[in-house]
Formats: sequence, C-alpha cells, structure tokens
Amino acid sequence: MKKLLLVLALVVAGWFAWRAYNPADQLPVVIAGKSFNKVFPDSSNGFTVQFTQEKEGYSQADLLKDGKKLAHFSVSDTNSNPTAREKFKSSTKQLAGSPSAAVGSLGTAILVADRYQVQVRSTDPSFTAADREAWILKFKLGDLKA
Amino acid sequence: MSKSIDRLVDHLPTSGLTVRVLGLLDFVAPGQWQNITGFDNMIRSVTGESDAVMVAQIRARALALYNDSSQGYQRAISVYQLVDSAGGKVGLSSMAHMLGEKVPLLSFLSSHTPKEDKAQTLDLALKLIAELVAFCNANGFPGDSISDFMSAVGSYEKENLIRLSAIVVFDGLIPLGPGYAAKLMDSLSGWSAADLEKNAMFQRVKGFIPGGDSTGSAFDFFSKATTAMNGYVGSFASDRGITVEKVLDQMHGIIDFSEGKLDLLAAFLDVSTNYIEHTGIQSVSRSLIERAAGEI
Repeated sequence: MKKLLLVLALVVAGWFAWRAYNPADQLPVVIAGKSFNKVFPDSSNGFTVQFTQEKEGYSQADLLKDGKKLAHFSVSDTNSNPTAREKFKSSTKQLAGSPSAAVGSLGTAILVADRYQVQVRSTDPSFTAADREAWILKFKLGDLKA
Repeated sequence: MSKSIDRLVDHLPTSGLTVRVLGLLDFVAPGQWQNITGFDNMIRSVTGESDAVMVAQIRARALALYNDSSQGYQRAISVYQLVDSAGGKVGLSSMAHMLGEKVPLLSFLSSHTPKEDKAQTLDLALKLIAELVAFCNANGFPGDSISDFMSAVGSYEKENLIRLSAIVVFDGLIPLGPGYAAKLMDSLSGWSAADLEKNAMFQRVKGFIPGGDSTGSAFDFFSKATTAMNGYVGSFASDRGITVEKVLDQMHGIIDFSEGKLDLLAAFLDVSTNYIEHTGIQSVSRSLIERAAGEI
C-alpha cells in the first residue's frame, strides 16, 4: 500500500512539474528587428541610410553616398546568438560607453546594454576603421539602453 | 528540407546557356553580376573577409539561420526554384501554339494551348510577383514604410538586378516588344481568377502567394501587386536604354535565330535556362551571409 501511495505521489508531483514547465521560459526572448529601425542614423548631408533586411532580432541598412555603397549597418539582438557576446569580454576599448570589438578586418561592433550588437562593416575601401567608429557614434544608442 | 544552401551555391554551374545569357546582360548593368559559385567564395566576396576562422564563423551562423525554416530563406529559395521549374511548361505550351499556327496538320494545338501574348503576359506577371514574394521572404519587409520597401526594391543590385533585368528582357521585351508594360496592364484587365487557376506556374507557386489558399484572394493580390510593380518595371528598359536591337546584337553570338521569330526565341529561353533559380540562390545566400556577418 505504501509503495502504491509513493507511486501515486510521484505521478501527481510529476504532473504538476510538467504543468509548471513552459518551454518558452527556457528560450531567451528575441526582439523584432523592426523595433531597431529607429536606432539607425538618419539620412543627411548627402549620405543615405537605406534599410535592406529586417528579421527577428535583426535589422540591416546600407550607407550610400551619391549612389555608391560605403558600408553595412546592422543591429542585432544577441539573444539569438549569445556567442556573439564573447568577443566583447576581452575588449579594452569603449565607444559611446559600450565595449567595442573588431569583427574580422572590415567590421567594428559595440555591445550595448550587454545585449544589442551594433555593427558597421566597410563595403568600400575608402570607408576606414575611423569612419566606422564615427558612424557607430551616430546611432541613437539611448533607445537601446532604455 | 531540400538541399542546404552551401550545397546549392557549391553546385551552381560555371558555364552553360544560363550563365551565358546572364553574362550578355552585362551591358544593362555593367559589372554588377559575377557568377560567384562556392559558398565560401560567396562569403569572401560579400564580406571582404579572407581569414579562414572568420569565414568558418560566418558559414556556421549562415547555415544555422538557413536551417531554421521560420527565417524565410528556405521559402525564398523554393519560390525561385518553383518559378523556373514551372516556366518550362509555359515555354513548351507557347512553342506548341506556334507549331499550331505554322503547320496546318498540327493546328489542333491552337485550341489546346494559351494564346501567345496571354501566356507571355501572365508568365511575366507571375515572375514579377514571385520576385516580390521571394524578396520579402529573404529580406523581411525592411524599413518603416512602403516607400522604404520600394526604395529597397528600387535599389536592386548585383544578382537581384541582373535577375530583374533578365525578367524584363527575356519575358517582357523580347516576346512582347517595347510596349511590354502597356500589354501587361491591358492583359490584366482581361484576366480572371479562372485564368490563374489554369496557369501551370500559378499552380506551383500559389502556396507562397499571400491568400494563395483561395484563388480569389490570390487573384486580388496578383492584380494589386502587378499594378504596383508596373510603373517601376515599365520604365526599367527605357531608363537603362535597353532596346530589342541591343539585346539581339548581344544574343547573336550565343543563339542562332532570325529576328522575325522573337516569340520562338523567348519560348526557347524559357525552357532552356533557369536564370531565376540560378541568381535567386546567389541572392538569398548574399542576404544570409550579410546577416550572419552582422550577428556573429
């Protein structure tokens, strides 16, 4: 009889544990890419910022001048790829109060609020590392920190 | 899931009729298209990065994104593949129709195949709509407004631009002449949902068209999207100085034909090339790699 009660107790406990389990709790929430659009620099002074891709946790734009593409801009939610945060752990440089890291030889990124990666990648040789840093500062980063 | 994206890009042909006819469109968009094959080559070309570790990181992230069917990249590839596999049937029916006109013994074919212009305009419209649907699956709906979205489409470059050029030239200008856009709009007013239902290409791609479960809803989207695209596509050839004569000059070195048989040339290109699938695979891999580089 005791064994039967023990089995019953285990079954009931298991049932409640199963009910309490919600797989969504185990997955990090990823923000819709559309909410990042307001963070990008505005088109001005002959430069055009043109949106080109927008997916869950990701938004991307091209920077053009006189129709020539100079760079890719992107903002991503690292909850969709947490390993992207690793490179910032050894960062010795800060931009706009956030850790900065190189992404290959043509990309510069910062990690805002320990979660959002803002990256500028050169697509034209005339767009230098200094240009990348200058354009990162033009992002409206306050919206990501809020 | 069918083939993975790296295998699709690895197996793209480096020669053949599709590659040659795409190459002849270089005069439309000089230097825009290179026939990049091999997934790692595409990564190096898109990102400008050559470091093996970096390329491997981008590859791994790109494959993870592609393998997640909810991200839309697989659907975009499917649309491009289905358009080309269905295109062959339209071309064959057009050729059958022409045989029916020219060979009396085969005249019965005329009553069993679509009229030439009607088949071609429907073909052109469905390819343009498939392009919009594939673009949205590969790139989402970028920006905050319709003008942002049209701006993204209007600034097509590289594989996207060469594919759109090929649609306009091979499916518009050659079979329908310089007034292809006006013919498209004229035809649109005469089409019905039943015409769509009978079309082989529509049957293949309808699952990807918004409202495709119902032919009536799909037809509504089809009409609105064709009208919306017509202005851009209609001025595409004239804005770039593309004429039938220029195209034929380029083509003479590749295909032997007489100028009086442009309808036959269009049908031949339709059945013997898969330029939409070829450049579609390149376009989707480019979008995927750009995003992967932004997310690693």
